[in-house]
Amino acid sequence: MGNAVGQIACVAFELVSIMIILSIDTATDGVSVAIADGTRVLASSEMRSEKQHAEVLTTMIDFVRKQAGVSFGDVGAVAVDIGPGLFTGMRVGIASAKAIAQVLDVPIIGATSLDILATAVGETDDVIACVIDARRGEVYWSLYRCIDGKLRQVTAPQASTVEECALQTIDRGQSTLFVGNGALRYRNEIELVVAGVLPRFDFADEMAALPTAVVLAQIAHERALRQEWQEADTLVPEYLRLPDAEINWATRSAS
Amino acid sequence: MLFSESTVILGIETSCDETAAAVVMGGNDVLSSVVATQIDLHARYGGVVPEIASRAHVEAMNVVIRQAISQSGVPIERIDAVAATVGPGLIGALLVGVAAAKSVALVLDKPFIGVNHLEAHLYAALLDDPHVEFPMLVVLVSGGNTLFVEMRGHGDFSVIGQTIDDAAGEAFDKVARFLDLGHPGGPAIDRIALTGNPNAIDFPRAMLHDGLDVSFSGLKTSVINYVRKNPTVSTADVAASFQYAVVDVLAAKARKAAQQIGAKTVALGGGVAANSLLRSTMTTVCAESGWRLVLPSMSMCTDNAAMIASAGWYRLVADGPSSMDMGAMPNLKLT
Ligand SMILES: [Zn+2]
Repeated sequence: MGNAVGQIACVAFELVSIMIILSIDTATDGVSVAIADGTRVLASSEMRSEKQHAEVLTTMIDFVRKQAGVSFGDVGAVAVDIGPGLFTGMRVGIASAKAIAQVLDVPIIGATSLDILATAVGETDDVIACVIDARRGEVYWSLYRCIDGKLRQVTAPQASTVEECALQTIDRGQSTLFVGNGALRYRNEIELVVAGVLPRFDFADEMAALPTAVVLAQIAHERALRQEWQEADTLVPEYLRLPDAEINWATRSAS
Repeated sequence: MLFSESTVILGIETSCDETAAAVVMGGNDVLSSVVATQIDLHARYGGVVPEIASRAHVEAMNVVIRQAISQSGVPIERIDAVAATVGPGLIGALLVGVAAAKSVALVLDKPFIGVNHLEAHLYAALLDDPHVEFPMLVVLVSGGNTLFVEMRGHGDFSVIGQTIDDAAGEAFDKVARFLDLGHPGGPAIDRIALTGNPNAIDFPRAMLHDGLDVSFSGLKTSVINYVRKNPTVSTADVAASFQYAVVDVLAAKARKAAQQIGAKTVALGGGVAANSLLRSTMTTVCAESGWRLVLPSMSMCTDNAAMIASAGWYRLVADGPSSMDMGAMPNLKLT
């Protein structure tokens, strides 16, 4: 009896370790799709696209699936970048991922765009400041550190001015690597605040400025091993900013 | 694949403030139709807020699709095609439905059909009464549109008259807001007008005698001016007189349009088609002239996905599937 249970558990683990994950990222100016099996990326595709997320995503998913040589029936989980990012763009990926997971009847794994940027950096002793352009002079950001080889988010994700973000890195006083399209866009503003104050600081280059589905697949695989996933129905985007109408309403009601 | 009377279509609608999914067989047989309305979310803003609508669509979409599938009794693998509204509408809202629909179609390896929301409204009336005789005049009156459409056959239509400013539903909403009757304005005015005198105030009937176009912006302004000059006037009388003016114009133009095209059938569509005075007036007009009137049920007047699936079926049969590269077209016209 005990033996049988052990075998079942072992089989279940085997299934997860080779689980094929379809990974989708449309939260920023990039659209990317990857299919990975936990150890390897089987196929991936990426493009820069300001507005055409909805036009390209479906065909990109189809292309990547065919390149990977898998059928949709082989997919064990769907991963998606839940933001923060550009509202309309990110919803295209999220709505697609949720629909696919529902039809395939597989779990969905959501990761934030900030988590994806931080994971892409890999092992470092620096503080990683992930900064995504929120437009209107604001950024979405969060700070990360590698502790015992594990990435840890050390501040809650938030939307604020870039100055506020830079000031928070000064607060920690450690060498800092700034990553993301927000960091690059506001590089001068950040430098103005942190130069001569932080022991050392650096900016990741353009290649690492956007979250990608390949890195997301890596995060998703780790979470799948721990069964940190959810049903498609319950996954919600991470906007970090209320709709303008709600902000205005709150301001008007308060005054 | 051949498409026929047994083709089953999943329809998805997210162009404005209703998240809807439906399963329809052969263009007219509604197996399920689920609508999650966001009216409460937008009520305090006095109109639909695009970003709030888009967010609500993402949260409701899966549950609405799940309910539509389960209520239809058709397993999702048995769906033959997926149709979604691609426009006109709010871009962010449309994209949620288009992305979901294309994804469902992709995974099921079935065709996707991009549907014009206005064309779908033409088909809404036919869902309850599919065997109409053409030519048919469709009076499409909603918050976003006021169109007189000549329909010569399936997929063969042209707009022969429209509003040059506000849509009829927009006029209802604006006047209701001014009179503090709440949002949406149509049902609110309809309700209070029952207790008022429609002849109390003689509001203007703009463009009554020119062509088939209409205008409601001046009417709205004269309602506002009248109430400001006569602050003690009965709200019910204002509502009833305003509603009478709108319906009077719509019915007169509908009569003229139907005569012009030699209509056999007249159909109403859109949210304002739920207005009780418009329905009764059009019933009289059509009875006098010998046109058959098709009145959609209340649930088919307002936005729903059954009409999307239905219009999708006719499009699929006529033109085949849409490209998977199709995005949203917020300013799509009825052509
Ligand atoms: Zn509509």
